[in-house]
Amino acid sequence: MPESSEQPTVERAITLAGDLHARPAGALAVAASRFASAVSVTVGGATADAKSVLGVMGLGATSGQHIRIAAVGPDAEEAAATVIVILGEATKVGE
Amino acid sequence: MSAAVPTVGIVLVSHSAELAVGAADLAAQVSGGTVTIIAAGGTDDGTLGTSAAKVMRGLTDADTGAGVVVLPDLGSAVLTVRAVLEDRPGDRVILADAPFVEGAVAATVTAAAGADIKAVAAAAEEARHARKL
Repeated sequence: MPESSEQPTVERAITLAGDLHARPAGALAVAASRFASAVSVTVGGATADAKSVLGVMGLGATSGQHIRIAAVGPDAEEAAATVIVILGEATKVGE
Repeated sequence: MSAAVPTVGIVLVSHSAELAVGAADLAAQVSGGTVTIIAAGGTDDGTLGTSAAKVMRGLTDADTGAGVVVLPDLGSAVLTVRAVLEDRPGDRVILADAPFVEGAVAATVTAAAGADIKAVAAAAEEARHARKL
């Protein structure tokens, strides 16, 4: 993807410890929405806006799947890091 | 997390009291419980229908300073909400044209992130384009 020099892009990945149900999807969207950067979540061939709870739930991501996060914008580094932490916490088995 | 900054409140107007309460519970759980969500469902005597008095109380209770987004379940709930809004011209209220459950969840999550009233209403209305499958 083309990118301008002033828009840092940060990519991170995590393997889900549990299914991405409504509550973790909500936590993810609330957290992502606090950043100025655009944040996307990709699972398999599907990509959703991390700030859209319905989009994230629509991915139907399940335990063991590999999720890729891409953040583009001024606070991309912090946004990607925060989203990864939430995905790790919120999908722990038992949720 | 953002206790100092008021978030947009949500009023769910349903013909069914149980449906309004259930959708409010779901939206609260998904969004982390930081947004004021008021269920205004059923008539004053508890039957199926909508109540101007409940909507009026809901608008008052939901407004913590950042305005209120109202979601009606079916068409005639819109009539009740509009009638109430005509009597409250000063309110910062947006009546959102959105699917009830998806709109409630999307609006509440967006409000929880600190978005303004227009962004919260837009999130509710965009919910009709979100695919589940």
